[in-house]
Amino acid sequence: MAAQTLNSSMQPTDVYGGDEVSAIVLDPGYSSVRAGFAGEDAPKSFVNSHYGATPDGRLIFGDNAIHNPQANLEIRNPMSKEGIVEDWDTATSLWEYAITSRLTSFKQADPRHNGLNDDNKDLEMEMEAVEEGEKALEEHPLLMTETAWNSVKNRERSIEIAMESWGCPAFWLARNCVMAAFGSGKATALVVDVGASTASVIGIHDGLILKKSVQRSNLGGNWLSSQLRSLFASQDPKVELIPHYMIASKTPVDAGAPAQAIYRKYEKEPSESFRALEEERVLTEFKESVVQVWSGPGRLNSMNATGSNNLDYARSQPGRVFEFPDGANQMWGVERLTVAEGMWDEKAALPVPNEQPGTKMTIPEMVKASISAVDMDLRAHLLQNIVVTGGTTLVNGFTDRLNNELMAMYPGARIKIQAAGLTAERRFGSWIGGSILGSLGTFHQMWISKAEYQEFGASVVEKRCK
Amino acid sequence: MPPFRDEHILIIAPGSQTTLAQLGLPESFTPASHRFPTRMFPAPDGKTYEPYKIRSRKKEVVINGGDVEMGGTVEPKMAEEGDEELIELPEDDEGAIYPLKEGRIDNMPAFWAFLQHVHNTLSPTLHTPIMLIAQPSWTAKNHEDLTAFLFEQFKTPALCIMDSALATSYAFGIANATIIDVGFGKIDVTAVTDFQISGRGTVPHSGGEAMTQRLMKLLKAKNFTRDMAEQLKRSPVCEILPPGTPLPGTDVKEEAAVISNPAAAASTGATSSGPSVRITEVPHVPVLDMEVGEDDDAFDDKQIEDDGVLDVASIVTSGKIQEVLARREKEKAEKEKLKQARKEKRDAEKAEAAAAAARPARLPNSKRPRAIFHYEEIIKDTPDAKRQKTPEPTPAAPAASETAVASEANPADSAAAAAVPESEPAPIEDEAARREQQKAARKEERRKNREEENPERIRRDIEIGIERFQAADEGYLDAVADTIYRTILSVDDISKRQDAWDALVICGSGSKVRGFKEALLTTLNNRYLVSPSSATMFMSELPSNLATPSGTGSQTPNASFTPHAPPTASAVNPLLLAATTASNPALNPNLSVTSYNGTHSHSSHSQSPTSIKVASPPGYFPELKLYEEAVFLGSQVAAKVIFVVDQGLSKGFLSRVEFNEEGPTAIHQVGLVF
Repeated sequence: MAAQTLNSSMQPTDVYGGDEVSAIVLDPGYSSVRAGFAGEDAPKSFVNSHYGATPDGRLIFGDNAIHNPQANLEIRNPMSKEGIVEDWDTATSLWEYAITSRLTSFKQADPRHNGLNDDNKDLEMEMEAVEEGEKALEEHPLLMTETAWNSVKNRERSIEIAMESWGCPAFWLARNCVMAAFGSGKATALVVDVGASTASVIGIHDGLILKKSVQRSNLGGNWLSSQLRSLFASQDPKVELIPHYMIASKTPVDAGAPAQAIYRKYEKEPSESFRALEEERVLTEFKESVVQVWSGPGRLNSMNATGSNNLDYARSQPGRVFEFPDGANQMWGVERLTVAEGMWDEKAALPVPNEQPGTKMTIPEMVKASISAVDMDLRAHLLQNIVVTGGTTLVNGFTDRLNNELMAMYPGARIKIQAAGLTAERRFGSWIGGSILGSLGTFHQMWISKAEYQEFGASVVEKRCK
Repeated sequence: MPPFRDEHILIIAPGSQTTLAQLGLPESFTPASHRFPTRMFPAPDGKTYEPYKIRSRKKEVVINGGDVEMGGTVEPKMAEEGDEELIELPEDDEGAIYPLKEGRIDNMPAFWAFLQHVHNTLSPTLHTPIMLIAQPSWTAKNHEDLTAFLFEQFKTPALCIMDSALATSYAFGIANATIIDVGFGKIDVTAVTDFQISGRGTVPHSGGEAMTQRLMKLLKAKNFTRDMAEQLKRSPVCEILPPGTPLPGTDVKEEAAVISNPAAAASTGATSSGPSVRITEVPHVPVLDMEVGEDDDAFDDKQIEDDGVLDVASIVTSGKIQEVLARREKEKAEKEKLKQARKEKRDAEKAEAAAAAARPARLPNSKRPRAIFHYEEIIKDTPDAKRQKTPEPTPAAPAASETAVASEANPADSAAAAAVPESEPAPIEDEAARREQQKAARKEERRKNREEENPERIRRDIEIGIERFQAADEGYLDAVADTIYRTILSVDDISKRQDAWDALVICGSGSKVRGFKEALLTTLNNRYLVSPSSATMFMSELPSNLATPSGTGSQTPNASFTPHAPPTASAVNPLLLAATTASNPALNPNLSVTSYNGTHSHSSHSQSPTSIKVASPPGYFPELKLYEEAVFLGSQVAAKVIFVVDQGLSKGFLSRVEFNEEGPTAIHQVGLVF
């Protein structure tokens, strides 16, 4: 067989000799981790933040593995309810999985110095290659995002992981709201970001967060899920939320009729947390296909111009049918509007213990508080640049309602809402902004290099990444 | 750059077990001209790789101390300083390295060496663009590494790396599809919308190998080797029954647990899994019967032929074609395997068939508690004999892992798969003496024929109980079904999801196992199919009628209904209004047009799947066999389009010039990978 070595003397003269490596952008969130190369239009790697822990302590990552009801998994999430990291060790492994499963691989280094093709290299070099091979990101600068309310300690921890565990040559920590604004092509904007665990409204001026304007609440996707559970419980008869894995087969039944399904038996019942994860998948589908925000004008239970109640009008509208995994189905009429109304009108929220929104927590109130916290001169500018991002904003009617609420709140002001049309762009807004930033030539001078980190330590991140 | 020509294009489609390759596009697309087992062997120098097992042996020196046992412990070289010579053993797969594991690239240097081997074998010209089919699980870094390697080593003028699922969708010519690729060690599920990949999922530790392993585990008591299990899996007696089907010979309790709802079957055309609705007779395709009649193995095959398509067939009418194809496929394989033996034994066969016909009742395979399967094994020389004949002292192979030893080879190779000699399993006891005799005669004859060709091949009949229906248990099918469901649900464009459900493509060698496709479809139907609700007699159709899918257009009618307009607009039922004005939105006063920039409106809102269908292959390629390896057909189509028709106008491939300017990362900007 012909030689398959890459001997340097044999290399053609016109071979590519550049060393351009694209940065990796990592955007961790409560429900998913997005990772990909800077300069691309969507993250190549999209990993569920939930992970499974087996009884013998192994951790299982990724959607492909965690939905197995037979694996006896305990489902956890390394992120806290506020969208910041709680369990650093697991978060590190999870991110590592997100990066290595689709972007880079740990094992194989460059053929020119992985030791395998070099006949004449001495042992020392090979050892070095092996050592290098252990680190995930030795070739790629890393741009990571964080929430606006991340703690100093957490920020320092991020750079430590990037530099020490992953061997990144350069690092940058960016606020995800700023990135979302960049993703929409704006340096000054009011970012309305409704994700899974939190909803936030943040004013940004020239790429910097206006600290006073940071408003956040828990009225995100998870809150909506518990509203849905509350709605299901209040139905008559009660709607049972049974995830797919418990069903062997279902039989079509009439709307509202009790389900007729054959249930799957498991030797060992999957854990509660596993069930919760699987239920969440059903709720996600429900949100996608049924839930809708009353798009205004006015609130759902307020009077409209003609003197009748909006609720009455909504009742006259056609409902939507949803079939649950066990085959039970029913028509959701006005309920599909009321369930999301609590995001806009705290009085309309369905009763859920410990999750009752306060008066200042609804989205219009947060926008109001945020706007009034910034300088007078900036307000008009921000209102003209409202960026809507985050997966929960995809609930039907969200932007219409936001527009109507703001028009009512600021009559006469020019209000312009920027919301990406494509689902992916809305969900990955902050990642896309990071991708844009990471690929800019001018940004390359801003990276915190490994040398700087070694000189100043982890506190450098606090000085540099404002 | 001169234009590329058809005959110069090199296509390589690697799989975990078999790699398909071909140089040049024929007039009419054909199956791959070359099939390589995807494996390499460490060369004696320990650093490079060789395509075949290489052993060194001493010339003319007989050594009794050398150990050729598997797992080859490398012993210190014997004292004799006889001349060593290296021999290649093309059939041997001991100590093989499989560069791809579950589709992932596990050993990149070995994979490079393997590509080099493929390239050398086909020896293309310098002006040969390369089309490399990528597995869905390859990482971006893998793509870059391969790009760098192919440009630097093969000096190729142009390269395209294309995802295998995408290639399959090209072969079928379906823009929105779900490709379920049942491979050797994994099942990849890819949702394709508009010829773009929009969702991915993998079932790890599945595929054909998992079924083999499970059979092996179940039949452990019978001393089943991996090879026996593998052959059993490929044999027609092994079958995966749709969930809810009682195993023959077991209690009927299971049957009772299944609720069948005739009303549902009537209203949706779907079938519940109740056995009462099963169709037991399949319309025979005449061609098939003729072939079977000629087939030497008709004794067994015929019985199976009578076996009805299970109840799935009633749901998936379009799937029937596929199913028949798959069956025919299987028979063809069987025929090929026995081609040599056939002619001489026709007489014996006829007697056999007559005997079979005389038997009182012939049950379909799925109803018989026990069945016979013919196991072919290759008896290697026993180590002792080997040492006497061909003394092979210290093999250079490192310890071979169990998986490496076991080979799956390519399907055509199946008969040749090597097996370790094993103790004979329990002999058949309850066979009628008459049949026994006949069988013995037949076996004798068969063996004789075989021995002419390969003296080491032995055929045995083994009786298997209901284990043969349990190659894939419920958990296995559930996992696959769940992955399909999850993958399709991850498609962002909700309106495309139903399209993806309506065009499932089940491909890959692992899907050839009898009954697999039907069982999978039944599982999907049982668990996920959304039936039209009685609550929406005609309502549910309207909103989807009204809303046109659109990303950004401000002219798009907003989602299903808009309460902006005063509710007094008309006393007419809003649904009726929507229905009458759907084709002309301007007529509907209730429809507002959103004014602000880029506002997203949900195009469609409905739950999926309301139907689950298997895509039928297009009829324009006469060679039906191709559809088992649709990947390769699709890659030929794509290669033709990208290299010859398009010539790089749409950046379908990465040219050498671009590579030199931008480096390996440029591969992400071109082609059809993502």
